Amino acid sequence: MNETILEVKDLHYIYADGTHALKGINLKIPRGKTTAVLGGNGAGKSTLFMNFNGILKPTSGQVIFDGKAVDYSHKGLKELRRAVGLVFQDPDSQLFSASVYQDVSFGPMNLRLPEQEVRRRVELGLERTGILDLKDKPTHCLSFGQKKRAAIAGVLAMEPEVLVLDEPTGGLDPMGVSGVMKLLKETQEQLGISVVMSTHDIDIVPLYCDYVYVMDRGNVCIEGTPKQVFSQPDALRRVHLRLPRVAHLMEILQREDAFDFCDTAATISQARKALKSVSRGWSF
Amino acid sequence: MIHIDRYAYRSKLKKTDPMQKLFFAVLTLGMCLWADSNVISAAVLVLMGGITVFRGGTSLYFLMKLLAIPMSFLLVGVLTVAVKISEDPGIMLVSLPMAGVWVGISQQGLRDAGRLFLKALGSVTCLYYLSLSTPLVDMLSAFKRIGVPKLMVEMMGLVYRFIFVLFETAETIFNSQNSRLGYASLNSGYRSLGGLASTLFIRAYRRSDELYTALEARGYDGELNVLEEPYQRHWAGYFAPLAVNIILIVITLFLRQYEGGRLG
Repeated sequence: MNETILEVKDLHYIYADGTHALKGINLKIPRGKTTAVLGGNGAGKSTLFMNFNGILKPTSGQVIFDGKAVDYSHKGLKELRRAVGLVFQDPDSQLFSASVYQDVSFGPMNLRLPEQEVRRRVELGLERTGILDLKDKPTHCLSFGQKKRAAIAGVLAMEPEVLVLDEPTGGLDPMGVSGVMKLLKETQEQLGISVVMSTHDIDIVPLYCDYVYVMDRGNVCIEGTPKQVFSQPDALRRVHLRLPRVAHLMEILQREDAFDFCDTAATISQARKALKSVSRGWSF
Repeated sequence: MIHIDRYAYRSKLKKTDPMQKLFFAVLTLGMCLWADSNVISAAVLVLMGGITVFRGGTSLYFLMKLLAIPMSFLLVGVLTVAVKISEDPGIMLVSLPMAGVWVGISQQGLRDAGRLFLKALGSVTCLYYLSLSTPLVDMLSAFKRIGVPKLMVEMMGLVYRFIFVLFETAETIFNSQNSRLGYASLNSGYRSLGGLASTLFIRAYRRSDELYTALEARGYDGELNVLEEPYQRHWAGYFAPLAVNIILIVITLFLRQYEGGRLG
């Protein structure tokens, strides 16, 4: 099996108003992993995501899904959109029905599945996102976090192979963020799907993501595992990003206070381990 | 009024097949209009109100409040029916001479007004029964089943969904203008209101664009195909409304015979 599920080669995208949003992007989305796409506002993340499932057609360059270049015919696009599910940033522009149940059923209905199968997927989608008890509620009575989950459920019900999420944690409270990230992780483990997400919340990247692309003004400027990316703090700062808070603390300890860590730590548990191993050398 | 919907979601009759409820409401409404009799109108008022309160679980107080809404229109409308112009003051109960004719209230006019009043109130109760037990989403599914064009049903659904988004947006803009003293004087108020309207229009336009993109991403091909949740469906659901209405029709016919005999 192909290690790369989705690949983009020398992708350019120019909007009708002349904005050159993507300037020759090359990236590979690994199968069954979680990939983060970081970048400041206007870096081109959303444009890139809409190229992933054929909403936008590249001005030049290629999008390759599972080893085959994307076919932009009606049939080809339909197949692509089944396989690559896109969850938008603002759930209010994705949820079109006043009934959560009906909204979630929209995707699978478009796949022309039998009714029984659609019902099974809708229930499953609602259950996975933890909003099964809200299926009778009208959409406009949900909280923002619940709407976000409903939007994810609507795409999950199509059982995509790649789940692409534009800012899945944007606007959520801390509990909401970890709730959404956990449900994505669980879904990924159960279904073996590949997840691509853009985020401004740098602190969750080392916790939940396996690979990172950093974008700046339409280009990919840094890529690698979270460890590799977060060991380049200066490069990150140049593109208006930062280290995770914990990694920042570790950096300061190392630079200002002469701590000697053998490895970069970006999460609480990694930092704890690093600090413990250092303190073992101390005598009280 | 935007929250009338919440009562429908809370109703114990929500799970009942919307088709049955629509059938019951429309049939009874038609019957009430056809019968044109005080007894029947009052019976419909009590029957539909009673079902809404006792079977649906809506509070009586809320229903009364809702019934008070059309009351002002109704009273004004009915008054114009009660007031008559005639050359013969003999038929009037109270009358005033005015430019050679008599303007006043006759017994017949009063009776007509009363009958119209009750008829309107009975009919409104039929509609309240429907709207207090059936959320719009269910109503749309019933419309689809009775053959209303799909495009129209879809449009109604989208309008309904985005009314709330529009309201929310308008409220946010209004609050942000208000907190910057945008409505402090009449002049600035007009200016702010103009800004609000134009911004709202642009936002709505952009929102529709985003919606289309999002729908396309989920395989939209011109039709909003969705699956409804299964309803409790039973033939008996149609039988009871039919039986009630047949009884009411029989009573009407009997009353007409009786009144006709007495008057004749």
